[in-house]
Amino acid sequence: MKKAILFLFAVVSIIMLFGVSGQVMAASAIVVAPDVQPRMMNPHGDDSDAGLQYFANFFDGLLQRKGSEGTLAPALAESYERLDALSWKFWLRKGVKFHNGNSFDAADVKFTFERLSNPDVSEFTNTGKSIDTIKILDDHTVVIKTKQPIPWFANNMHQIFIMDKESTEARDPGDVMVKAIGTGAYKFVEWVKGSYIRMEANEDYWEGAPPIKKVEIRPITESSTRFAALVSGQVDIVTGVPVELYDKVVSNPKIEVVRRPARRSIFLSLTNKPGTPMEDIRVRKAMYMAINEGEIIEKIMRGHAAFAAQIPDPPTIGYKAEIERLSYDLEMAKKLLKEAGYENGFAVTLTGPNDRYVQDAKIAEAVARYLAKVGIKVTLDVKPKSIFFPEVNQGKTDFYLIGWFDGTFDMGRTYFKLAHTRDSEKGYGEWNGANYSDPEIDKLLESTADIIDVAEREKVLQQLNKMAMVDKIIWIPLHYQVDLYAIQKGKGLKFSPRPDRWMVYKEISK
Amino acid sequence: MGCRGRRRAAPTKSIMGTYIARRLIQGIVVILVASMFCFVIFQFTGDPVVNMVGQYATFEEAEEVRQLLGLDKPLYVQYGRFIWNALHGNFGKSYVTRVPALGLILERFPATFELVIIAVCMAFSVGVGLGVVVALKPYAMRNRLIMAGSLGGISIPTFLIGILLIMIFSVYVGILPAFGRGETVRVGFWRTGLLTLDGIKHLILPAITLAMYQLAVLLRLTRAGMREVMTEEYIKTAWSKGLAPRKVIFKHALRNVLIPVVTITGLQFGELIAFSIVTETIFQWPGMGNLLLTSIYENDQPVIVTYIMMAALIIISANMIVDILYAIINPKIRYD
Repeated sequence: MKKAILFLFAVVSIIMLFGVSGQVMAASAIVVAPDVQPRMMNPHGDDSDAGLQYFANFFDGLLQRKGSEGTLAPALAESYERLDALSWKFWLRKGVKFHNGNSFDAADVKFTFERLSNPDVSEFTNTGKSIDTIKILDDHTVVIKTKQPIPWFANNMHQIFIMDKESTEARDPGDVMVKAIGTGAYKFVEWVKGSYIRMEANEDYWEGAPPIKKVEIRPITESSTRFAALVSGQVDIVTGVPVELYDKVVSNPKIEVVRRPARRSIFLSLTNKPGTPMEDIRVRKAMYMAINEGEIIEKIMRGHAAFAAQIPDPPTIGYKAEIERLSYDLEMAKKLLKEAGYENGFAVTLTGPNDRYVQDAKIAEAVARYLAKVGIKVTLDVKPKSIFFPEVNQGKTDFYLIGWFDGTFDMGRTYFKLAHTRDSEKGYGEWNGANYSDPEIDKLLESTADIIDVAEREKVLQQLNKMAMVDKIIWIPLHYQVDLYAIQKGKGLKFSPRPDRWMVYKEISK
Repeated sequence: MGCRGRRRAAPTKSIMGTYIARRLIQGIVVILVASMFCFVIFQFTGDPVVNMVGQYATFEEAEEVRQLLGLDKPLYVQYGRFIWNALHGNFGKSYVTRVPALGLILERFPATFELVIIAVCMAFSVGVGLGVVVALKPYAMRNRLIMAGSLGGISIPTFLIGILLIMIFSVYVGILPAFGRGETVRVGFWRTGLLTLDGIKHLILPAITLAMYQLAVLLRLTRAGMREVMTEEYIKTAWSKGLAPRKVIFKHALRNVLIPVVTITGLQFGELIAFSIVTETIFQWPGMGNLLLTSIYENDQPVIVTYIMMAALIIISANMIVDILYAIINPKIRYD
């Protein structure tokens, strides 16, 4: 017994002697602690931005989104052209090699797009099944023909990562899930699940070798631990600085906080089902006017959010700068409710996630309190996202809090999911969880499906946006989130966050 | 050696055999019931299909995935098929990572096992050691302080201990890392952190956090046992025979006290392996508990149910081993 204690003390004291943690890393190596774990290394198996940000380092799409503005730029395709309403022609880059040495050519593109429709390995079945044929004209030219016109098809090409046909077919399916072989700026080195992912620079990268040679990603989902890891110097960059720790992080002289307005807007969805109070636009307007968004931004988001008057953000096709928020006006709200015959208010359940957006549950609580001031009795029902999202998808809710941004920078696709009447035949309205339905909206929306010309799309989508936000009040917009990152000052890293929150390490330099 | 009481015949093999068989059958029933509970609860935890089909999928595409996974079938068919496959060693594929659930869990086992074994060793050695010290002079100021501290160990929640340790040793003093497992070495399939200095440094804080509660329990148990035994006749005899204090305390007294202490340690060992969730989350320890929590967040049903079955198996086996050892150590105990 005594020996055991002695041994323990000996071990502990030896370790204390060695002291001072924090590894000395090679000059161009960084350790990054994002707030999400990767699910897999199969680039088609996870369509969330949390997952895509990992794949984007190992793989390339036909196109890419570059830098802090998210500009669409060539990647594995040097150029592309829309031949007609359905056909897209891509001229592929020559001389690109996968990390295993195989050459990249048209067969890999065909293989990739066919793989998308297999639900066993893909969450992009929607894109996969929208494709009719993939024609290989020669080794470096392909024509992809879709079943229906998809105006935003090319806009989404930065999310579809090209895989190597030969090796993917030859490898064990389980191996494909955990090891990435792409053409990307970084080669996959090792993934120890729950611990870290290591990658090293692809010196033969077609865009030139990236400046940071070694990247170690150590996801830390627990926010206080992430903060401790940063302060103790164990990591160089963290994503998702929690707003409640913001002041602490900012006051630390060793750390620099980088803010970036996010693309995602947070809003409330309302039903207009016949028989519900919200059927009356005056009620929806009153609810809008009763919410003190300024206070939500100040008190709950601690200033890290910006007013939203609509769902899309400025660079998105369909954003209309002229749309303004309805002012916060309790008297007006009460008056509107009185006119609508709800002078004494009514009861409604507000659903929302509690583990998805920044301060989501607290925002919902605040909304409930504001609505109580005009007599609307809100029952709160916030729950984990894994339960909440299926409920929205099944249309079981009347009033809920949700956030959205569209990776295509074109609101067309999103509006079909969010605003169109639920229609399983046509595949519309899957995320219209409150069953909002308006034939005028549907008609205008359907008319945009065939519009290819960007200027024309912009015009109609803006018209649609105005109709939804001003004339009909389908949603109550709240705010755009602000993404917060923190980096070690001493490292001299040059890092400007992307609008889509992806961590693309080739864009970081010393 | 009066301490052992009257000797009786050791349990015969056949009685022990029946006992083990009975416990095994009970164990299987428990595992089946636990897994069945999981399936019933899954009915209320949301539709996994929506979370795995991609955000732009149509209803039709979601339906296809549902059929692919067999989630369109009635509950009893789903459960029956799961058990049937499980009997063949196939626990299904994780909905989230699309690789076999069992492999995913086993991959995390070494991390948890190492953490728990170190924590249990710490708790046992320090807990029992202090317990003896305190029992010998219960009214000394120092020992009263230790007892008060042990109350803290029992009542302060694990997450708070963990965060406090991180704040002190990682953030302020800066000598121990705040999270993760550090440098690991692969020995066959086993990834160990015990062979590198970095790995051991990473282990200290989480192991202390995990050990704290158990240490306090063992300390109090040992102290109570020692105080009782020290008043026994045979100890007085030992003293009066003029035996060395060390011999009296360790050989005669402590040995008798250790039986319940070992039992508790063994039982807790199983539970810690299965449910060191809080500690693993705070320190982002890549063990099984961390995996379970992530899987619950993501509603990854195959992983959750496999985990629960494995946890039940571990706890049942630990209990059974303790029971059997108990019968061997103390022949007075019979299972019939």
